[in-house]
Amino acid sequence: MDAVQFLQNFLNGISIGSVYAIFALGYTLVFSILGIINFAHGAIFTLGAYLTYSLAVGQFGIGGLLADLQLPFQFSFTISLFIGAILSGMAGVLVERCAFRPLRTRGADPLLALVSSLGVALVTVNLLQYLVGSEIYSFPSDVYGDIRPAFLLHIGEKLVVVRTVQIIIFAVSMVVLALLGYLIGWTRIGKALRAVAENASTASLLGINVDRFILYTFFLSGFLGGMAGSLVGTSFGIAGPYFGVSYGLKGLAVIVMGGLGSIPGAVLGGMVIGLAEAFVPSEYSAYKEAVAFAFLFAVLLIRPQGLLGSSQIQKV
Amino acid sequence: MALLKLKNLSVNYGAIQAVRGLDLEVHSGEVVTLIGANGAGKSTALRAISRLLKVREGSIYFEGREITAQAPDAVVRMGIAQSPEGRQVLARQSVLDNLELGAFVRKDRAGIKSDIAKMFQLFPRLEERKDQSAGTLSGGEQQMLAIARAMMSRPKLLMLDEPSLGLAPLIIREIFSIIRNLNAEGTTILLVEQNARLAMQHSHRTYVLEAGQITFTGPSQELLSDERVLHAYLGG
Repeated sequence: MDAVQFLQNFLNGISIGSVYAIFALGYTLVFSILGIINFAHGAIFTLGAYLTYSLAVGQFGIGGLLADLQLPFQFSFTISLFIGAILSGMAGVLVERCAFRPLRTRGADPLLALVSSLGVALVTVNLLQYLVGSEIYSFPSDVYGDIRPAFLLHIGEKLVVVRTVQIIIFAVSMVVLALLGYLIGWTRIGKALRAVAENASTASLLGINVDRFILYTFFLSGFLGGMAGSLVGTSFGIAGPYFGVSYGLKGLAVIVMGGLGSIPGAVLGGMVIGLAEAFVPSEYSAYKEAVAFAFLFAVLLIRPQGLLGSSQIQKV
Repeated sequence: MALLKLKNLSVNYGAIQAVRGLDLEVHSGEVVTLIGANGAGKSTALRAISRLLKVREGSIYFEGREITAQAPDAVVRMGIAQSPEGRQVLARQSVLDNLELGAFVRKDRAGIKSDIAKMFQLFPRLEERKDQSAGTLSGGEQQMLAIARAMMSRPKLLMLDEPSLGLAPLIIREIFSIIRNLNAEGTTILLVEQNARLAMQHSHRTYVLEAGQITFTGPSQELLSDERVLHAYLGG
C-alpha cells in the first residue's frame, strides 16, 4: 500500500467510523443508565433511514402496503434528516415505554428487558417489511441539491476520491458529537443524566425524576440511531428492512471495543472499527465484518475492559 | 403541628418487614435522633420517607400533607432532603457539580450561587477541592459533601443517615458541631445513628428502634440517664 492508497483508506475509514460512533453512542447512553443493551437500536437505525427517505423523496414506498403512497410534502435533505431523527427519537421513547419500563417497574431481571427489546426489534423490522416491502431503497443522486458528487485530489499520478456524501456524513456526525458532548458534559440536564447513570437512587434523593431522565436517554439514543441510519442509507442505500441488523451487531462491537458505557470509548471504537474495515483490501471486502470483529477480539485479549473502559472500582 | 409525622408506618425491605407500625413525630426546629442496633430498620424508615421504598401500611405526613404515595423527586421539592448512608457522593463528578445537583429542584441561579458560597464557608475543605472529582475525597470530606449537597435544596427537614460511619473521632466531632450549627440556623434534623451516645448528646429527642418497633422514646437528656437504654445501647 502506498501513501496515496493509505490516505484514501484513511478518509474512507474516518467517514464511516464517525457514523459508527454516533450510532454506538445510542447504545452507550442506554447502557450507562440502565446497564442493558437495547437490541431495538438496530431497528431504530433502519426506521430512521426509511423516515428520512420518505420525507426527502416525498414518497413512502416502492413495495409493501404503502407502495407508491405520495406524501403531500417534501423536504430538503437537511430538514428530512433532522425530522427523521426526531421521529426516531420518539420511537426510542416508545421502545422504553413498551419494552423496558413495564419490566423495570416490576423489578424484573435485566436479561428479560434484553429479550423484550429484541422482540421490539423483530416487530419493527417485520412491520417495516409489511409497510414498505423489502426492495432496496436508494436515495436520489441529487438528494443534497446541486452539489458535485465527489471531489478529486490529484497527488502526482495518483488520485484520491472523496465522495460528497462521505464529507456530509463526517461533518454531520462531528456536529452531532460536539452537541452531544456539550449537552452531557456542560448542561444541567447532562449533569443530571450522569448522576442517574452513576447512581439512580442517589439521583432521586437529589430531586431528579429518574423515569423522566430515562425517557430523555431513550429519545437521544433513538435520535442518534435514526440519524446514523439515514446517513448510512444516503451513502449505500437502504438494503431492505433488515438493513440495520448487521449495523446493530457492528455497533455492539464498537461499544465493547471502546469500553461499555464509555462515551469517548464509543467514539474511539467507532473510528477504529471504521478504519479497520476501510483498510481491508477491496478484493476481500466480503470479509470486512469478519476483520472488524477479529480486530475486536485482538483488542479484548489485551484490554478486556475495552480501549477506554475502566475496571469498576467501588469506593464505599 | 408536626413537621413530619409517621403514623403506624410499616415498610418492607426485600422480603423482610423492616419497620413495623412506627409512630414518630419531628417538630420544626428540633433535632430528633433515631437509634438502634444494626438492622433495626432505621435506614429503612428514612428511605421510606424519601419515597425510595414502598410503604406497606400506615402513612407519612409532611407539613400536614400526606406524602405516602408521592414520588421521590416530589418530596425533595416539598423540602425533605437526605444525606444517605455511605454518603453516596457522585464519585465521577466534581465537588462543585455535586453541590449544583443538590440544588437540582431549584431554579434561582443567584440563590444557588450564594448557597454554594455559604457551604464553602461552612466546609472550607470542600472549596479547596471543588474541581476534584468527589470520588477522590477522603471519607470525612465525602460526608461533608453529602451534608452540604443535601442542604443545597434548602430543605425544611434534613435527614442524615449514619453521618459518623467509618470516620475518625476528630472528624466525627467536626461533623456533629456542623449539625448543631445547621440546626441553630433553623434546619430541622432527623438523625439516624449507631453512635447512640453522641447522637443523643446532640439531639432534643430520641426514639429507640428495635426490630422495626419503637421501644423507648423521650427527651434525649432523660434517655441518656435511663438505666435500660444505658444498658442496651450506651454500653453502660
